[in-house]
Amino acid sequence: MVDINIAIIGAGPAGLSAALELKKLGFDDLVVFEREDEAGGTPRHCGHLGFGMFEFKQLLSGPNYAKKLAEKAAQKGINVQLKSTLIKVEDGILTFSTPEGIKQYKPTCTLFALGARETPRSDRLVSGGRSPNIITTGTLQRFAYLQKIKPFEKAVIVGSEIVSFSAIMSAKHLGIKVEAMIEEKEQIESFCILKYITKLFLNIPVYTGVKLENINTQDKAVQSVTISKDGKKEDIACDGVIFTGKFTPESSMLQKSFVDFNTQNSSLNITQNFQSSSDGVFVAGNVTRGALAAFRCYFEGKKVASKIKDYLNFKHTPKIIKIEADENVSWYYPTMLDIKSPLEGHLTTLRLKNRAKGIIKIYLNDRLVGTKKVWAFPFISISIPWKDIELKEKDNIRLEFLANS
Amino acid sequence: MEHIDLNHIFPKRVSNFAKDELFDIAVVGAGVVGCAIFKEFCEQGAKTVLIEKANDILEGASKGNSAILHTGFDAPPGTLEHECIQRGYEEYMKIKDEYNLPFLNTKALVVAWNDEQLAKLDAILQKGLGNSVKELEILSHEQILKREPNLSSDAKGAILVHGESLIDPWNTPLAYLKKGISCGGKTAFSHKVTGGHHDGKCWELQTSQEPIKAKVVINAAGLYSDIVDAIKGTKDFKIIPRKGQFVIFDETAYNLINSIILPVPTKRTKGVVITKTAFGNILVGPTAEDQESRTNSDTVKETLEDLKQKAFHMLPALKNHKVTATFAGLRPASDETYYRVGINDEKNWITVGGIRSTGLTSSLGLAKHIFELNDKKYEKNPKTDTKVTITNISEFAPREYQKEDYGKIVCHCECVTEKEIRDACHGESGAGNISGLKRRTRAMMGRCQGFNCEAAVTQICKNEVQNG
Repeated sequence: MVDINIAIIGAGPAGLSAALELKKLGFDDLVVFEREDEAGGTPRHCGHLGFGMFEFKQLLSGPNYAKKLAEKAAQKGINVQLKSTLIKVEDGILTFSTPEGIKQYKPTCTLFALGARETPRSDRLVSGGRSPNIITTGTLQRFAYLQKIKPFEKAVIVGSEIVSFSAIMSAKHLGIKVEAMIEEKEQIESFCILKYITKLFLNIPVYTGVKLENINTQDKAVQSVTISKDGKKEDIACDGVIFTGKFTPESSMLQKSFVDFNTQNSSLNITQNFQSSSDGVFVAGNVTRGALAAFRCYFEGKKVASKIKDYLNFKHTPKIIKIEADENVSWYYPTMLDIKSPLEGHLTTLRLKNRAKGIIKIYLNDRLVGTKKVWAFPFISISIPWKDIELKEKDNIRLEFLANS
Repeated sequence: MEHIDLNHIFPKRVSNFAKDELFDIAVVGAGVVGCAIFKEFCEQGAKTVLIEKANDILEGASKGNSAILHTGFDAPPGTLEHECIQRGYEEYMKIKDEYNLPFLNTKALVVAWNDEQLAKLDAILQKGLGNSVKELEILSHEQILKREPNLSSDAKGAILVHGESLIDPWNTPLAYLKKGISCGGKTAFSHKVTGGHHDGKCWELQTSQEPIKAKVVINAAGLYSDIVDAIKGTKDFKIIPRKGQFVIFDETAYNLINSIILPVPTKRTKGVVITKTAFGNILVGPTAEDQESRTNSDTVKETLEDLKQKAFHMLPALKNHKVTATFAGLRPASDETYYRVGINDEKNWITVGGIRSTGLTSSLGLAKHIFELNDKKYEKNPKTDTKVTITNISEFAPREYQKEDYGKIVCHCECVTEKEIRDACHGESGAGNISGLKRRTRAMMGRCQGFNCEAAVTQICKNEVQNG
């Protein structure tokens, strides 16, 4: 077993930027662990442009952005251990499976930057048959940009988040015809303009307010999907179905290993300093909630690095109070406050499940202490302000959303 | 960009025996029962061929079940099913170590959730004792919660069945297949039996590829056993496929229970079970839905939702865990509740049909039974010198990735190595399609369902097949 100062799990934008920043702050005893063959994380297989503008003032494709991050890490002499899969966390010891065998590390401080994944067909409980051609955007991207394999010819895309449009681009790249995009909600789950671009310029029908009734298969080959709107059913012929979005943190290891797990976020509870209630355990990037853009993870990585520095220099243990949010909230972070540490006017960031106008009410020990008027979209984060009221141990903060009637 | 049909990465198999080869035994159907019978006859020295319409084993009823090794405590007393379950269990215990197969003795609790069910427990206990399952105990409400602290406090009472255990539903029959092959058995995959003729001495079976000749035909065609059986000239039963839908939860839920949680059974089915699996998940199911179709194993959203709710009622903490997979299996039930096993001595035709839901446990017992039925037909020449070991992929055995020099992990959810995937692509008992690869390795079966590895696994399989 090797004693190290800092272990970072995950060499995506959050993990690598934290490593770069920590290195800059003078921490050399640092190892980044990555289970894939290469560093860079999810952008490695997002073949389209749109990366790097805020971080590097450059418009890059996902793979080039990932490469740039990985190269920076290499230049700075950061120890990145590839092909290292974390298999166990117990008593502060991290156990990895690596091609050279099992390796164990005991870090003073660990940052989990494990990323997120899309919700596959299974957890959506969709009706119908089984086929290897029922996949997620992530799989499609890997087919397109890593393996260069075209798995099918005609696809239906389920969902209308930003990533769903990335699925269209990956499909286009592979020469797959997109027969339709279908969305259960009445409006698409991203900016309306994307709907019109898709319809008018790409000539792809976008159906909103439709239910995916069934995936029709024969001998494990997709034949069509059945959709319905207002009770009227229709079949769309296709040989592939792509489930997009509904990102969920890649957090099973955290759920198995730590007690203070937040099931609403599917991640560990964290303070405004990205600190969990386990000593020396930090969590940042997309594993703290659903997926946000790479640049947000990158800047979060920088920020968590400074918090890790504070922790290592002052060894302060947080004094924690919990924040609760009602069922309208799809995720929020931080989920706790360290009342020994400044809040800087900000309580938490959240997203609501549905489009709605209304107010978010902030309760401190059941007393209303603040409100925020919102016009919420499920794909836009809402920052909840906090006017400085002194907080004491055992205080409780609760957020409720009330839609305008 | 190259288009690859993911359903046909693996080539269609052809047989590797001479065209006019006359077999002692032709087993039709490579489900768990067919594989076990194949193994038995091959081991006893019979010249045996296993004929299967799909390109791999376990493509029908045997692919989807709850993976429990049953004691037979609630089997219909005095029936062949009862006999074969207990004999199958004994046989499994004899061979599991040689084959490197998993066996996890979790025990089972038959839980009564209301007074009506509570009143039935004694009858179940008596039935179990009558079925010569001796290790049974009645547990009180308090004793249940001591053993299963996460179970809903609605549990009124239970019977603890000590022998009930978990096994690997896929690599167990695969081991039988391998054993048969190593004893000289032949296989004919992608050979759909379409008809046959008995000339008074031997059978010539028509198939979708070349005809196959054998002295004795054993029909273990599962969901199609009634259709295949008609080839002998009489129609004795009808298969009524019974769909069972399942929900699998992430391994994060694994420690929520210790035992298999069984309901008080009804006449028709064992009911909805909550159990761990040998792969470290929690399984909930099955439903029991009679249907006409022999192929429709679609899942239905509302049914899956209902299964989840039933499970949450019994095990409330399960709510906090994600669903890893959903699937449905079709059990080959028949128009009667018993096994449809019989021999037509005149035509040398043996029927093994209607193996409705206990086939995984009873298969080895059935195989012994069938062999004895057919004992006088040819000379015994047992083969004792072959030894077969499979890769134990259960969560409780040392896995490949824990060893040195394994290469690298490709499927991160289930920790499947590249070497395991490559190995599973080769040989006569290798994968015949992607589902078969999944069953052999667990690749893509985890919580991300291929989000991370499907493309890479496809590439590896493609390369392995191309490069031989």
